[in-house]
Amino acid sequence: MNAASPSSPAVAHYREAFERVRPVLPGSPARRAEAMARFAELGFPGTREEAWKYTTLRRLEARRFTPAAAAGEAAAPAALLTQRLVLANGAPLQALPSSLAGFRLSSLAADTEDCLLRPITDLGTERFAALNAAFTAHPLLLEMGPNQQSDEVLQVTMLTTGATPVMASPRIAVRMAPGSRGRLLLEHADDDAAEHFTNAVIDIELGADSHLTVYRLQHQGTKAFHVERIEARVGAGARCIVRDSQLGASLARLDVHVSLDGRAAHAEVTGVFLADGSRHLDSHILIDHRAVETTSLQDYRGIAANKGRGVFNGKTIVHPGAQQSSARQVNRNLLLTPGAEIDTKPDLEIYADDVQCSHGTTTGQLDPNALFYLRSRGLDQSEARSALTRAFAGAVLALVDEPALASRVHDELDRRLVRLLEVAA
Amino acid sequence: MLSIRNLHAQIGARKILKGLSLEVNPGEVHAIMGPNGSGKSTLASVLAGRAGYEVTQGTATFMGEDLLPLEPEERARRGLFLAFQYPVEIPGVNNAYLLKAGLNAVRKQRGLAELDAFEFLQLIKYKMKLMQMDESFLSRGVNEGFSGGEKKRNEILQMAVLEPKLALLDETDSGLDIDALRVVANGVNSLRSPERAIVMVTHYQRLLDYIEPDYVHVLADGRILRTGDKSLALELERRGYDWVRQEASAA
Repeated sequence: MNAASPSSPAVAHYREAFERVRPVLPGSPARRAEAMARFAELGFPGTREEAWKYTTLRRLEARRFTPAAAAGEAAAPAALLTQRLVLANGAPLQALPSSLAGFRLSSLAADTEDCLLRPITDLGTERFAALNAAFTAHPLLLEMGPNQQSDEVLQVTMLTTGATPVMASPRIAVRMAPGSRGRLLLEHADDDAAEHFTNAVIDIELGADSHLTVYRLQHQGTKAFHVERIEARVGAGARCIVRDSQLGASLARLDVHVSLDGRAAHAEVTGVFLADGSRHLDSHILIDHRAVETTSLQDYRGIAANKGRGVFNGKTIVHPGAQQSSARQVNRNLLLTPGAEIDTKPDLEIYADDVQCSHGTTTGQLDPNALFYLRSRGLDQSEARSALTRAFAGAVLALVDEPALASRVHDELDRRLVRLLEVAA
Repeated sequence: MLSIRNLHAQIGARKILKGLSLEVNPGEVHAIMGPNGSGKSTLASVLAGRAGYEVTQGTATFMGEDLLPLEPEERARRGLFLAFQYPVEIPGVNNAYLLKAGLNAVRKQRGLAELDAFEFLQLIKYKMKLMQMDESFLSRGVNEGFSGGEKKRNEILQMAVLEPKLALLDETDSGLDIDALRVVANGVNSLRSPERAIVMVTHYQRLLDYIEPDYVHVLADGRILRTGDKSLALELERRGYDWVRQEASAA
């Protein structure tokens, strides 16, 4: 056994913390206890575990976070959209409105045994999904009724805040009834006042022919730890779109698992990550094709600079019987400065014979011919590098069809690229 | 304006320019011709500041200033322009952005205010008409998906916008059909002025039917072996390059 033994002091710490908070947690006590036991059983991962090969959690494991209490008040980042809800340390900052942007909103009642804490299994983040299920105090349910459709975007800002290091466990369940259509922007931020740990779970179910677009903006501060699991089950003819921007935190791990369960279900998981400074950003995407005529696209652009490190693991599995499916995987990575590193592993497993699949991965530096061309027209080194870097990310950012978010992400990238390219020049 | 003396340049250990000298004055049009591998494109690259070339001997000054230590963008801002033999495709960086950023960088160097969006658009539309280019081109990626002819027209459009003091045209005629060649040549000719010099590097005499040079130089074995007027180009077309080499080695 390595340092990641389940009986580690860290696990003991969370077990004790759980004993203190469990009397006040809503929902089924048995489900909470099972979740805690599952976390204790799995413990913290070591790098010998394939899913954590390039990401060590030693720093996370060494910290003693306090499970966050609901924040009475907190300074949330300015809203990007008019329809917004702020969850501070997982709890709504104001009284929960009954509906927003077409979604019905509710929280876990004190004594109901509902879907909000259902176990989320497998992948490297199973343990953290269980830890979340043990501690999450105000899981939020977003529902869209049958054939209900909204073009508005509901922004949910998940803010982690406190003077001392806290662990926040926001959890959102999204239930899209058949034929419904909705859009969500999930934003992760923190106050950067201490080394907080955000452990989020987003649990999505799409009924037949429903559409859900989830935009994601993770721009936590430079001290933050962030672990997140997005789990989606997609029914027949339904479309699940994830547009990810993984920009912040000191250490962030995101697992996205989309299961295409019904005929002609469709998934797109696309995004950018920017691992500058000494950030470590690790994204694992898994798409399961479990039914005929299912289609998927994964397209990620990763940028690393300085001592930043990126890890990308994109996997698509076409299961037996998922005939006439098509899957495309693209992962392109850019190393802006010497010393930066991106470890990428594309993975395509095909157990059906009548399918169309492709994947491609590249990792490299900016094209010197393109740089020279721009400079020969008068652009200085940092302008030219910044233009090419923006173009690199732009191919995926162009898919973000919510203008306020797209321009926010572009601004953030510009601001950070200018700074780091000036340093590099 | 441009004064090159005894220039030696190499890539790695391979010596390419071996004592090249050339004087270019404002208002002049020079054609540099020569066989493949003679160093024509190397000359253009060294003057524009492309990385990978080492100058081991000699000097190159531009407007009285030593050119060789300058960064590529510093050369561009001082009024040196290279029309690429192989213009680079840059998806995601649009033509309008490049033209505006380049123009404002050059204007800043000249002590002029930046153009606002409206002034820029007026200017660019006028220049695009000259090059017979469609306005939709502005929002496209730089050279992205352009045909060979469109790429070369785009080079001359950039030149027309940046208004350089010295334009180096590297094999601008290669890959062009006769109609595209005419458009490109018209663009270049419209930029001829007493203050501006043009140096064309070319393989074929054909271009010189459309852009008439004041001087024709033969570049072979890394040096300029012979200089004449445009009749020299016709003679090269007829007789090839070997006789120039032979006469040079006999001398």
